[in-house]
Amino acid sequence: MKRSISRFAYRLLLGLHPASFQEEFGDEMLWIFEEEYKPGNAGYLLFDGTVSLLRQRCRIQSDPGQLSIASGAIITGPGIGPIRLLQATITISVILFSLMQLVGQSNPFTVSVRWADRMPCYTVTLQAPSHAEVILGTMP
Amino acid sequence: MKTEVIKRAPLSSATLHILLALARADLHGYGIIKEVARNSDGHYRLGPGTLYDNLKKLMVAGLVADAPTPSASKRKSASIKEDDRRLYTLTKAGGDTLAAEVERLQGVVSKARLRLQEAKAGRA
Repeated sequence: MKRSISRFAYRLLLGLHPASFQEEFGDEMLWIFEEEYKPGNAGYLLFDGTVSLLRQRCRIQSDPGQLSIASGAIITGPGIGPIRLLQATITISVILFSLMQLVGQSNPFTVSVRWADRMPCYTVTLQAPSHAEVILGTMP
Repeated sequence: MKTEVIKRAPLSSATLHILLALARADLHGYGIIKEVARNSDGHYRLGPGTLYDNLKKLMVAGLVADAPTPSASKRKSASIKEDDRRLYTLTKAGGDTLAAEVERLQGVVSKARLRLQEAKAGRA
């Protein structure tokens, strides 16, 4: 039962990706989801899918790849303003909370916003305790 | 042009691990995930979303390409079957980028060792 709900949630996430990305990688992502799925692993896969959705939707179209590869950040550069970043953070928090409720797991993710002391910049991160910290955005 | 930029810049962990996995053999997506886990002794975990996001960027940058397979033309079919799995291969530019990154990391390690030795000598 939980597997079917998780699969449905993952399909939903894939369906929200841009059409070109879905067409190119959607089947493969779903295939890997099926291969990797374990009862304790659903949260991570859904988390990864949600972050992927955000990356694809928020990526700076003018220069894909270069900035993200160079910095290691998922969303970076001057094209995303603080309001958009805050909206993205709230949206992903709501989506993740809903998905965790749906698959019957407590929400393992924390969202934090850090301001640098001396530099006019801040970083928004999502962190899953047992997995890697994901930087949602760093703003100069 | 993009390749030149990437050569100079440090690669992200995901990018480095994907290029490293493909340096050994042409792999499909799940094969890359398993190879990355094996290379890192299970310490680095790559999800499908992270994998394909990075693969897309690497393909745009010309560092990774589709490996020529008989079924490559059929890959947009509705479902993924054993024979239809899309294989990815490292391009020459990808190999050069990986080599440049390894060289950069070697420099970092050398400097770090030197600093540690100096610190140790200073304490003695």
